[in-house]
Amino acid sequence: MQEIINWSDEFLAGAMVIIQLFFVSLLMVIVWGLLGATAKLSNSRIARGIANGFTVLCRGIPEFLLLLIVYFGSAVTLTNIARSWDPEIRFMDIPPFWAGAFAISLVIGAYATETFRGAFLGIDKGLVEAAKALGLTRFQVFWRLRLPMMWRLALPGFGNHLLSLLKDTALVSVIGVQGILFTAQQATTVNHKPFTMYLTVAFIFLALSTVIVVTMKCIEKYAYRHLEAAR
Amino acid sequence: MTFDGSLIIDSLPRLMDGLWITLRLYVLALTCGTTLAIALVLMRISSKKYLSWPVMGYIYFFRGTPILVQLFIIYYGLPQLEFIRTGPLWTFFREPFFCAWFALTLNVAAYTAEIFRGGILGVNSGLVEASKALGMTYTQTFRKVTAPIAFKLSLPAYSNEMISVLKATALASTVTIFDVTGVARKIVAETFAPYEIFLSAAIIYLVLAWVIQNGVRHLERRISRYAN
Amino acid sequence: MPSKPPIISLKSVHKYFGTYHALRNINLDVEEGQKIVVCGPSGSGKSTMIRCVNGLEQHDEGDITVNGHMMTTDEKTGNLIRQEVGMVFQSFNLFPHMKVIENLMMAQRMVRKKTKAEARDTGMKLLERVGISAQADKFPGQLSGGQQQRVAIARALCMNPKVMLFDEPTSALDPEMISEVLEVMTELAREGMTMICVTHEMGFARSVADRIVFMDEGEIVEAGEPETFFANPEHNRTRKFLDQIISH
Repeated sequence: MQEIINWSDEFLAGAMVIIQLFFVSLLMVIVWGLLGATAKLSNSRIARGIANGFTVLCRGIPEFLLLLIVYFGSAVTLTNIARSWDPEIRFMDIPPFWAGAFAISLVIGAYATETFRGAFLGIDKGLVEAAKALGLTRFQVFWRLRLPMMWRLALPGFGNHLLSLLKDTALVSVIGVQGILFTAQQATTVNHKPFTMYLTVAFIFLALSTVIVVTMKCIEKYAYRHLEAAR
Repeated sequence: MTFDGSLIIDSLPRLMDGLWITLRLYVLALTCGTTLAIALVLMRISSKKYLSWPVMGYIYFFRGTPILVQLFIIYYGLPQLEFIRTGPLWTFFREPFFCAWFALTLNVAAYTAEIFRGGILGVNSGLVEASKALGMTYTQTFRKVTAPIAFKLSLPAYSNEMISVLKATALASTVTIFDVTGVARKIVAETFAPYEIFLSAAIIYLVLAWVIQNGVRHLERRISRYAN
Repeated sequence: MPSKPPIISLKSVHKYFGTYHALRNINLDVEEGQKIVVCGPSGSGKSTMIRCVNGLEQHDEGDITVNGHMMTTDEKTGNLIRQEVGMVFQSFNLFPHMKVIENLMMAQRMVRKKTKAEARDTGMKLLERVGISAQADKFPGQLSGGQQQRVAIARALCMNPKVMLFDEPTSALDPEMISEVLEVMTELAREGMTMICVTHEMGFARSVADRIVFMDEGEIVEAGEPETFFANPEHNRTRKFLDQIISH
């Protein structure tokens, strides 16, 4: 127990890093998901092809490997470019935090693409017709009807994506982002209590997962209040 | 920044060695985990709280924490405990492959138990009532009616889980196992050619995922021969 | 007799779904203030026809003119027409995630650019008119089918339309709720609204319609005033249809 208290400041700092990483990735996930779903539902064969390729790749490659590709791939490219200016430069990389956020967002974004697409398809066609019949433009129909209906339908699936997203933030310790797993690794080298340290990490993740689950429950309650009231 | 094709050819034999380890880890974890999941789900749906609650806690822990952290607890963490390091279990837990298999199995079991539970809950209660009305016992009904239908309902989610497990095997490389990802990381460290090597590894995983997906689709089509 | 051009005019309209010929040479003029009831067996093209009038379906041949605007495939023209044409659907199509009053306010604010207060005011007045102002802050799912359909009528009326289209407005309702919707429609007719109603409610047709249009297999078989239509239908197909409906 004493070991945990000794390292509590570091764990707190690590947790903050993870939470930041989570929200930065989340924003990107929503962008990828919306772009991907729109592309998959579009009439353009090129857009559909690109979106399909994106989801197949990002869902089929291990997230860990994808992270390594994004981080080391970009580092090698960047280093080569830098060397053409100054041959003295030995290594240059994208900040691991951003490489990590980007890689994770690709994976979860690919899953979100499928969820959003399914949700867009699940919207009752009659409602769209009713909105059109009222004279709303295509953009207004999208903004006021399709989007609000879509996110409600996507909510349960998206909640699961958020949990995956949170858990994937553990991976970035491998490329040196100082999240809680990184903290535990450092602590272990000093106090030789790996079981205690890693279990602490597990329980921090469990607590954060719980926060997500509870938050999603609240959001669902708000989003589905029109259904709940019905009976 | 040139793309070195010969490097890929040179690395191929080592990547194939890695593939063999990945496949062994994958098949062992998936089969053992699924078997354990069946036992867990039977406990989970039991009306006896001393059976269902521990399973609930187990599932909650394993689904709420990253596999990487679980793996670190088992591989790096357990040796801290005296009875592991000095006891008979040490023969197993000092082996990285065993630890990776152990972590993945526990994980598969937790996720799959939840998937199977969803399938069981999805079975039309009218069918259960109908077999009750025919005089079948609870166990008979479960074996002959609930379980087969639940399995079919679970299949789509289970096939996603199969892909997730495949991707999770890549984490084994963090505990010194030379699976496909482990081999790739080693070669990249030697050659500093991440594109060629990591992309080759990625293609191996994509092919595996494709094979698994098609296998399941084939199975699904066979099962769906009877009515929905 | 008519001094003004008809408010709705369909000239030689054809519509295909793939190879299926859904509308065959439809010609129909509706004067301002007229009430038209369209009937016919299912699959006869009644719904398709009125859906073409506000551009929810695009016709393939012929001309459709509404309130002086010729319907084209252009999104803008379609919107211009839809702003002046209200529509009521068989399945209500109320927006489930919005309260009743919000359902009524949305299009007023977005299309008519009214202020929130104005939109709410108009909305409440119309809810009162259809007799459900007490339900304004409920969600559609909390209302009975008949109430939902009355909200849908009010929602369309909020836009102050020149024409109202009804696509089988009572078909999805339990029998005891049909009359409350028909009453609202009858009242609307009495006030002089131009209406095209696809419906099998022959009692309503008899009392309200200026003209009854009978469709079968995508074409208008016959059209006439209610008395002659019911008492003395010209065509065999019409007679058969009426027999089936009335024997129910």
